[in-house]
Amino acid sequence: MASVCPTKTAKKVVGIALLSAILLVFPWLGPPVYFISFLYTVFMFVCMASAWNLIGGYAGYLSFGHAAFFGTGAYAAAMLTKAVGPGTASNLLCSIPSGLVAAVIALVVGYPCLKLRGPYFAVITLCFAFVVQLSVQNLGVLGGPDGLWIKGMDLPVETGRSILYESMLLLMAITILVVERIEHSKFGAGLRAIKQDEEVAQTMAVNAPRLKMGAFALSAFFPGVAGGLHASYLTYIHPTIVFDVNMSILIVLMALFGGGASWLGPVVGAVLLSFINELLSTFVKAELARIIYGSLFIVVIIFMPNGIMEFIRKRKQTGSPH
Amino acid sequence: MDLLKGTGITKLFGGLRALASVDFTVRQGEIVGLIGPNGSGKTTLFNCISGLYKPDFGRIEFEGRRISGLAPHTIAAMGIGRTFQIVRPLMDLTLRENVTIAVLYGRWGLSHMEAAREKASSILEFVGLSDKADSHPGRLALEDRKRLELARALGSGPRIILLDEVFAGLNPKEIEHAVDLTFRIRDEWGITVFMIEHVMKAIMSTCSRIMALHHGVLIADDGPEAVANHPRVVQAYLGAKYARG
Ligand SMILES: Nc1ncnc2c1ncn2[C@@H]1O[C@H](COP(=O)(O)OP(=O)(O)O)[C@@H](O)[C@H]1O
Ligand SMILES: [Mg+2]
Repeated sequence: MASVCPTKTAKKVVGIALLSAILLVFPWLGPPVYFISFLYTVFMFVCMASAWNLIGGYAGYLSFGHAAFFGTGAYAAAMLTKAVGPGTASNLLCSIPSGLVAAVIALVVGYPCLKLRGPYFAVITLCFAFVVQLSVQNLGVLGGPDGLWIKGMDLPVETGRSILYESMLLLMAITILVVERIEHSKFGAGLRAIKQDEEVAQTMAVNAPRLKMGAFALSAFFPGVAGGLHASYLTYIHPTIVFDVNMSILIVLMALFGGGASWLGPVVGAVLLSFINELLSTFVKAELARIIYGSLFIVVIIFMPNGIMEFIRKRKQTGSPH
Repeated sequence: MDLLKGTGITKLFGGLRALASVDFTVRQGEIVGLIGPNGSGKTTLFNCISGLYKPDFGRIEFEGRRISGLAPHTIAAMGIGRTFQIVRPLMDLTLRENVTIAVLYGRWGLSHMEAAREKASSILEFVGLSDKADSHPGRLALEDRKRLELARALGSGPRIILLDEVFAGLNPKEIEHAVDLTFRIRDEWGITVFMIEHVMKAIMSTCSRIMALHHGVLIADDGPEAVANHPRVVQAYLGAKYARG
């Protein structure tokens, strides 16, 4: 348990390296556009669910408003590229300050909201996302109800798409790496204590307000960058698309479906749900797909309240779950 | 030197005066007891000291600096540790993880995981929990849960530790062990002890000084013998017994 045997770690490293290599070269092998854009979406959701897990999974503050950070990133990138002048490099690089804008908004919103706990925090973040969406919809400078066009990356469509695919892949990798590092750090330990009992954590000198703010800002940063990249991908953004409340909910479901206790949970949850979503929407009528999707989720919550990863881990440990 | 000093501490809950202008001091190196019938305000006083409650009036000083009004984590970081009367372990974490978090954020300057884990292990050994370090608190008996509270409080490396009824519910043999542990905390670790206790025999043999609260009012502050025979203390306990009986 304590020390993983070296061959197992070596196998893991080789596996991850192989998977990364395949994902990296994939778009340049000329596959159907459909697969590139599907994988791109998977990367985007893995990134967001992983980042969300910092505040939702580790600290136990379930944010139902993370689409607001994604949308903020998209709009910030659109405005920034307009100011800087579009181009491949500027479009890609503008996504980074866009993430910072999202993080700053998270700090401003988090300061009052993170004083609320449990369902109150969930509801206030949901409301916050609506307020942001409505504001953008009514702000003329941001295109209001007409949305915004983003100047393309002056590249052939396929090349541009592949480059955005690679960028999202890189963003996903960085997010996972950062989250994994935090999980095993002092910061992560403090967040877990906060989730368990915030008062007790504070009597152990854990600076709960500061840690929560840090986790919330980081959990907003990566979706903000993702939103920034996605603006270039879509070339046209509209409040109802990039601030979609369904996206907020999907992020929460993905993270909890996989399990919020470890970094791997949201990754597995986002991949699985993306695939299930895609299969259902391809082969089943939309209404029926929603019903199946919802039922599946209820089953998982009832039988695996701590997510799939925890369920599998317990099974491995005891042979059978109680 | 006064390590901890409270003047005019008053805490109101609606119409109820849980603490009524309480003055107290705890000096460096003392083991001080706090007694009083149920509901007399003992835990409320600890909550005020550790910052979980803000006193409505009065001032609390630690090492000459005002702490009343500060956040609980700031107070803990200054060196005030505490246990909870109703134990509050972090349930999803192992005993070692519980204590490691306290060490990481405590006053040892150990922010490296491995070093903190080692320190936590030595603290668990000190309280007699090393064989259960990797299990979860849910499986522990009450005695061990109380020890975990103690280990976690020691984990932050406090200068003073507030113990809220760590002897309650223990059998005589376990109490003897706990009394011994209390002395070792003071003598080996140099930590001043401020303890709430109901078990009179234990507190009489442990404390050099005892304070008694009754309906939020400090009615005695003296040596163990003097407090035990203090007419108002005797009356408070007898009264409480009649009322309960
Ligand atoms: N958070 C609270 N809200 C309302 N009343 C409280 C609260 N905490 C304590 N009290 C009341 O204050 C009084 C003192 O309680 P407490 O300090 O827990 O007593 P003790 O620890 O001496 O048994 C009791 O009457 C209790 O009901
Ligand atoms: Mg009490």
